[in-house]
Amino acid sequence: MQAEKYKHITDEELLQNFYKDHDNKWLGILLPRYTLLLLGVCMKYLKNEEDARDCVQQIFLKVINELQKYKVEYFKSWIYMIAKNHCLMKLRDQKKLPLELNEQIVAAENPVEKKDFVDKENLFEKMQQAISQLNPEQQQCVNLFYLQKKSYAEVAAITGYTMLQVKSHLQNGKRNLKLLMANFINY
Amino acid sequence: MNEDLLNILSNSNKDIDNQKLMDYLSDKLSAEEKHDFEKTLVDSELESDAVDGLYEFKNKKDPLMLAEELNQNLQKQLQKKRAAKEKRQIKDLRWLYFTIILIILIILIAFFVVWQYLH
Repeated sequence: MQAEKYKHITDEELLQNFYKDHDNKWLGILLPRYTLLLLGVCMKYLKNEEDARDCVQQIFLKVINELQKYKVEYFKSWIYMIAKNHCLMKLRDQKKLPLELNEQIVAAENPVEKKDFVDKENLFEKMQQAISQLNPEQQQCVNLFYLQKKSYAEVAAITGYTMLQVKSHLQNGKRNLKLLMANFINY
Repeated sequence: MNEDLLNILSNSNKDIDNQKLMDYLSDKLSAEEKHDFEKTLVDSELESDAVDGLYEFKNKKDPLMLAEELNQNLQKQLQKKRAAKEKRQIKDLRWLYFTIILIILIILIAFFVVWQYLH
């Protein structure tokens, strides 16, 4: 299988190879890595298996065309943005999304994490301080998920939140912790 | 516990493989594997949204079959594009050869005319 043969090649390397010779065979290795994920994303927004399948095909075509036009650095974030925008546009066309869309398809960048050297003891204290500054829902979810190593389902069962709420609290909680820690380190 | 506290902010850079994804959806992972998998979901909107969507499929085997079908269609599309590109390149080459032959002919004719004139 082609996928197994090229498993050791990263997305970035495949893209570099594509940009060198513009041979679509590299895209034939890269894109199938994301098919199942794209199917899931499309299904999440469109709620219909046929529509989701058609949407993935359209996304593939769009990706193949767009990659000819400009360089993409972080493929995973970029293809996610393409997929999400495409789904939202479909929903808008079906009049299921009344909001005006402002579509900007950019080669998205992953945030670069600064590695700051702070002694460990100090870091523990700062982390505890940061967690205590989260709102109660985020604090509870972060404690249960990261420190008590509960699964989403277990956190939901314990707290009474839905799975979606648990995910949201965790994502927002982690983001807020990063911001709080960045402030502590800078000051 | 302290290490867990510090590790909250570390990003899971692991890409999810499809088999693990399907095992998660079918609840076949151990508690520890499940937790590791869900840590990846917190860090990745793509994978998180994908899992939400894949849960909506009535039959858990359907997404894999659909993905396989989509991949086959994709390969056909890419082969078509490659074939069309090669055809265009051959056409361009034919024009190039024609032009070269024409130039050579013109040079030969010009040479013949000049030679005739001089003699």
